[in-house]
Amino acid sequence: MPASYAQLEAEATARWEANAKRPWVRVGTALCGQAAGSTSVVSALKQALERQGVDAQLSEVGCIGLCYAEPLVDVQLPGGPRIFYGDFDPDRADELVRAHVAGGHPIAELALGYLPPEDAADDFVPPAGLRDLSLHPMRAWENRIALRNAGNIDPMDIYQYIATGGYRALSSALLEMTPEDALQQVNESGLRGRGGAAFPTATKWRFLAGNPSRDKYVLCNCEEGDPGAFNDKAILESDPHTLVEGVILAGYTTGASKGYIFIRHGHDGPIDRCRAAVSQAQELGLLGEDIMGSGFDFDIEVALTGDSYVAGEESALMEAIEGKRAMPRFRPPFPAQFGLFGKPTNINNVKTLAYVPEIMSRGGEWFAGIGHERSTGTAILCLSGALNYTGMMEVPLGINLKDVLYEAAGGIRNGKKLKFLQTGGPLGGVLGADNVDIVLDFEVLRNAGAILGSGGIIAADEDTCVVDLTRALVAFCQYESCGKCFPCRMGMSHILEVLERICDLRGQPEDLDLMRSTGENMQAGSLCGHGQLGFNPVSSALRYFPAEFEAHIIDHECSTGVCHGPRYSPVRSRR
Amino acid sequence: MPDDINISIDGVEIKTQPGKMVLEAAIDAGIYVPYLCYHPGMKPYAACRMCVIEVEGQRGYPAACTLPVADGMVVHSQIPAVDALRKSVMEMLIAEHPNGCLTCHRIDICGPSDVCLRHVSVNDRCVTCPKNERCELKDTVRYLGMSLESPLGYKYRNIPLEVSDPFYDRDYNLCIVCGRCVRACDELRGDDAIGFTERGGQALVGTSFGTSLLESGCEFCGACIDVCPVGALVEREHKWEKARRVERSICPHCPVGCQLNLEFNANDELIRAVPEINSPANQGQACFKGKFGLEFVNDSGRLTVPLVKRNGALEEATWDEALDFIADRLFQVGGEQFALLTSPTSTNEELYLAQKFARAVMGSNNIDQTSNTNPEMVLGLESSLGLAAGTNPIWELEQSGCILAFNTNVTEEQNVVAVPIKRASRKNAKLIVIDSREVELTRYAHLWLRPVPGTELTLLAGVLRSIVDQGLNDTVWLEENCESPATLTYALNSREIEEVSEVTQVSVDDIRSAARLFAEADSGSVVYGLDNLAANLERDCVLSLVNLVLLTGNLGKPGSGLYPMRQGANDQGAWDMGCLPDRLPGYRWVSDPADRKLVESVWGVPVPESPGLGLAQIVDAADGGELKAAVVFGNSANFANGRIGDAVGALSKLDLLVVHDTFLTTLGRQADVVLPREAFAQKDGTYTNLERRVQRISPALTRNDGARPESWVILQLAERLKPGSWQPLTPAEVMEEITRVAPIYAGISHHRLDTEGSLVLRTQLDSPQPTQVLYASRQHRGLQWPCPEPGHPGTPTLYAEGFGDTRAVPMTPSFFAAAPEKPVEFPLWFAPGRVLLQQHREMEVIKGKRNRIMREEWVEVNPRDAADLGFAEGDKVAVETEQGLVPGVARYNPGVPRGVVASTGLFGQLAIDLEASEEFDPASMLEGLVVRAARLIESPIKNTDG
Repeated sequence: MPASYAQLEAEATARWEANAKRPWVRVGTALCGQAAGSTSVVSALKQALERQGVDAQLSEVGCIGLCYAEPLVDVQLPGGPRIFYGDFDPDRADELVRAHVAGGHPIAELALGYLPPEDAADDFVPPAGLRDLSLHPMRAWENRIALRNAGNIDPMDIYQYIATGGYRALSSALLEMTPEDALQQVNESGLRGRGGAAFPTATKWRFLAGNPSRDKYVLCNCEEGDPGAFNDKAILESDPHTLVEGVILAGYTTGASKGYIFIRHGHDGPIDRCRAAVSQAQELGLLGEDIMGSGFDFDIEVALTGDSYVAGEESALMEAIEGKRAMPRFRPPFPAQFGLFGKPTNINNVKTLAYVPEIMSRGGEWFAGIGHERSTGTAILCLSGALNYTGMMEVPLGINLKDVLYEAAGGIRNGKKLKFLQTGGPLGGVLGADNVDIVLDFEVLRNAGAILGSGGIIAADEDTCVVDLTRALVAFCQYESCGKCFPCRMGMSHILEVLERICDLRGQPEDLDLMRSTGENMQAGSLCGHGQLGFNPVSSALRYFPAEFEAHIIDHECSTGVCHGPRYSPVRSRR
Repeated sequence: MPDDINISIDGVEIKTQPGKMVLEAAIDAGIYVPYLCYHPGMKPYAACRMCVIEVEGQRGYPAACTLPVADGMVVHSQIPAVDALRKSVMEMLIAEHPNGCLTCHRIDICGPSDVCLRHVSVNDRCVTCPKNERCELKDTVRYLGMSLESPLGYKYRNIPLEVSDPFYDRDYNLCIVCGRCVRACDELRGDDAIGFTERGGQALVGTSFGTSLLESGCEFCGACIDVCPVGALVEREHKWEKARRVERSICPHCPVGCQLNLEFNANDELIRAVPEINSPANQGQACFKGKFGLEFVNDSGRLTVPLVKRNGALEEATWDEALDFIADRLFQVGGEQFALLTSPTSTNEELYLAQKFARAVMGSNNIDQTSNTNPEMVLGLESSLGLAAGTNPIWELEQSGCILAFNTNVTEEQNVVAVPIKRASRKNAKLIVIDSREVELTRYAHLWLRPVPGTELTLLAGVLRSIVDQGLNDTVWLEENCESPATLTYALNSREIEEVSEVTQVSVDDIRSAARLFAEADSGSVVYGLDNLAANLERDCVLSLVNLVLLTGNLGKPGSGLYPMRQGANDQGAWDMGCLPDRLPGYRWVSDPADRKLVESVWGVPVPESPGLGLAQIVDAADGGELKAAVVFGNSANFANGRIGDAVGALSKLDLLVVHDTFLTTLGRQADVVLPREAFAQKDGTYTNLERRVQRISPALTRNDGARPESWVILQLAERLKPGSWQPLTPAEVMEEITRVAPIYAGISHHRLDTEGSLVLRTQLDSPQPTQVLYASRQHRGLQWPCPEPGHPGTPTLYAEGFGDTRAVPMTPSFFAAAPEKPVEFPLWFAPGRVLLQQHREMEVIKGKRNRIMREEWVEVNPRDAADLGFAEGDKVAVETEQGLVPGVARYNPGVPRGVVASTGLFGQLAIDLEASEEFDPASMLEGLVVRAARLIESPIKNTDG
């Protein structure tokens, strides 16, 4: 007999409370933390705790969003606030343990700030000399739903997830709601796909729910190969159980028999944490047969791709799970009829599914109350490039992109001016600096010719050469073309060759027309979105910065100087 | 049939059926929409974007190959926007494909060795491409009316050529990455020897890790070559030659009856064989033998003049001299002193005349086929079910739910039969293999039962018993269709599964699951050979297999039935024509007065009453001197492989040995008269394949080189021996006589075979097309006997209407294990295997002018046997048989039964050997994998590499 939710919750609470009696040291070890060196911070802190014989809970947590400040360590004494130390130097681990963890005295000159405890009493006294991070521009605009646990709990510990209310939504949905009720909640929430197309999730699920086939699959896409996008990975690293719960709920709602979480090979952190989450859920009977006594059978497999960007395209993804080369299929037939292994299949982005547990527990209406018109809920943004604060934010849809850049992200670094944004991955192209006064809303963005896509926003300042960046984007698209359909396979190479010529300041006046005609035919003729959108980087750059291209071609001048220097060109475009 | 719907393409209204794609509908209607990656017979792929179209009311430019038709759809294929899109893609394509001649006005007058006035490099010329004039890319460029210059930069890829593998030359500089070859290997053949490599602009086709084809698991079937639209994949032989003439023929190498389109050059030499895509027997497929094994037709060693032995030496003679010589001697030979052996590559008409000659002219029933070493293969079918032939069409195997492959190396010997088996096993069908040898199908098998040689029958008894024990027999069907089914189940009670398991060394679990897999499938088929079976087991094994399909009710329905794997191309026809000592045409009995009377009424002469001698007895009688004269048509592997003893030695003792053959073979050298025989490509008549399909073979090669067909020789001899009694008959007239004697052929005529069948792929010959499509304008389906009357459509599936007035008779075999004779000095069985590739095996390919495989073979032995024999894993050993030594390294494999040693070679080695063979007709002389008595010894070869 599988454990009931009440039993699990009791166990989780007991563990949580036992831990709460000890100091809690958390280190961000998501990819952003690891890149900044958090691995050595963790081992330094571990050694320091052992050396000094201090009894404390040391957890590797995910990404709290302030990636610019990684490696980020926070110390919470029983009942006290969380005090954060940014850019933490592992050499100071001993000092931190001695002064703060054991001694109870925060090191003010190292600290970034504090977050008050969630259950802070009215008479909570803020630590002296530290700023309240909930007022930090990156945090102040936020409304965390999918990221509610990110950076807060240990992603490798299912009990911490349960202790913070995890799997309650699953329990109540399985035992108290029919699949139709659950679908109704999703419908009311107005949730739309976060993978780029913003298709209403409930409508998509209804296709699958209505299919009588015995074998049906729900797929979660964490290929996330866009440069500048890291929110899917961050969810898997920071709170994989949110996703697992979301996938199970999607399976229940659509009557699916199995779920696949598909992660790109090489995303090691997300893979490890997701696999651990799935096996923990299996051990506790939250996956498998007769989940929590509801009679619902469902399991999840974590599937990996090869190193292929196009594997994120839904039909290529299915090919990859089937063990074939990741090349897109033609449509029709659509996945809802003929998907993975030829069975009806639904595929959602990580972010989309990560909202689902909260939608189920708080109700669709609550979710619909957040956001802007038909764009309900939040946007999870990945800010990178020439910004003061880079990192990950979950903001309600409807806020202005300008505010995100100049307020939340603290504006452009070194007092420079914004030149353009690169949004939504390489296929999203660029957005000129004059066009950033725009509301984050799927329709508004689409009408403006930009896409939110994966949520990646790369800001470029005046020192960036738009021609060179376009070349880099096209080089990426070219290298990542799967090589199946002719226009994409060869068109990308030819466009790249022209761009390389222009960057070498050897461009010809007719080159722009040549790129346009090749690109437009590639757009019209390609099989999947990769080729259809692959000309976007060039066409958008030409729209906003025609003069810069002309300067390269006619005057053989690159105003930023980038193209006068040596150029890194990693990819051979053709044999 | 779904209702027709109407669509319009470029203003032409056409009728089509729902479910079709627009491109298919257009091809059906004879409307040309350009395409490069699509190929009829394969699933659409939607990569080349040449077939983009515009559909009124739809956004963008969908590909016609993947757009399903809808009623009222209005398609535009020839509008400027579509044309521009196609041209743009083509511009990209020719920027990476050598194209120097594509747009040159001199292209039609330039030859490969002419000086190019435009200084186009040799690599970039079309006229120096082996595919010139049959290149779909070039034709498509011309169809699109491209301008002279592409604005995109051209770059020659400079990829080294792959020209060291057997039979194939690969030049990936010419590849357009349409994926046809990859899909053919995967989707059509189920082999996956090649795949895509790299991606983006570097994407190309190749093998895993860039190995040679020898290592990749290639079975050299040539399917990739047949579909390649450009010169990237070509046959090495006659690579540069252009076809001047194409003729439909039938492959002479095995009984599948593959229709081939034979290409001939201006000198009337056979240069290429392209399997016919609309042939029902092979569906566009062939194998290494049909694709690359027909070169013998061109061999200058062919006999062209009759030879007569004078003073102990064969000397040239005229036809009249030779025939007179034979006739003079045959006058002196009494009926039973004469024998006639027919060839599996003779036509039905020739076979009919041959047996008629033996019986009506020579008065002898001593007639058999040189290939008829396993008559038991089909006799069991006849005695139990009524007809001595396979029950279902070959390609129904693909729909089968479970396939049992019993002692047959079908992937090599009847290769195309393995194609639907592999395809089925890659879908949901279960494949069970029963074989002591590791043959290719074991790699595709869900269950491989590996009995000790000699215990195959016992194993079948175990499987049958297990079906009954598990209650899986179809009792209702049995009661309705079978005579006294209880006798069979009763007989099975005598064998306990545990005992079977002990004798055969196949686990009880495996026996049970084989029973379950076969009996629980919706439909089950049995593909069987009698390879390596002890002679005294053959009959009972066949009966047991018949009982297997009877018990499970797998007869008379699609995807089920029995498939005897005969050997020779027209073995089935030889049986049908009565080339047997005890049978007359149409399976009439020599011993039955009524049957004899009917035949006599047609022939007008008496038929000798007593059954004659069969193949083995003829050899014995020749050896013993009872036989005085024999006529032998064609060569046979059995003259050399010992399966009928020392046949050459025996036959050479005859007073008169006449050999009618294409080449001067070992037997021919012993003959008194050797007559030059036409090759298969010169024949006019019909072949009957292993699914009973009577197919027309017409003379493809019209060369008059002095060789004559058997029918002419027989008529000449008949005229000399009984002047005026035989009228010269055309093959069509002979068939007409056959229909009067053999009821199963009664409805068949050359006229029907020539004219029935329809135009299937309407092609505009001036538009670019895949070669296979160009050749496929008319379908020849043949007729599957029984075809009892002129309007009858033939019978694809036997017993679909039950067994008529009679019922099937399950014959109860006597289940016993044979103890085949083994010399005491050879206490083990050596089971040689051969597969396409072996995982986890290191193999070195010595690259050179021709690649060679270098590897140390494993000699797999049961660990307990190894202990008994005193060998340890890793020891250098050799398997010694009477035929020679097989050196290797000992390796424990508990899966090898005790008393057996096994070694598994690679198919690649066979391909290398075949290509290097100096024999006249190497493909027809391939020996199967023979299990032999052996012993394991220490390797006499020591550290040669040191």
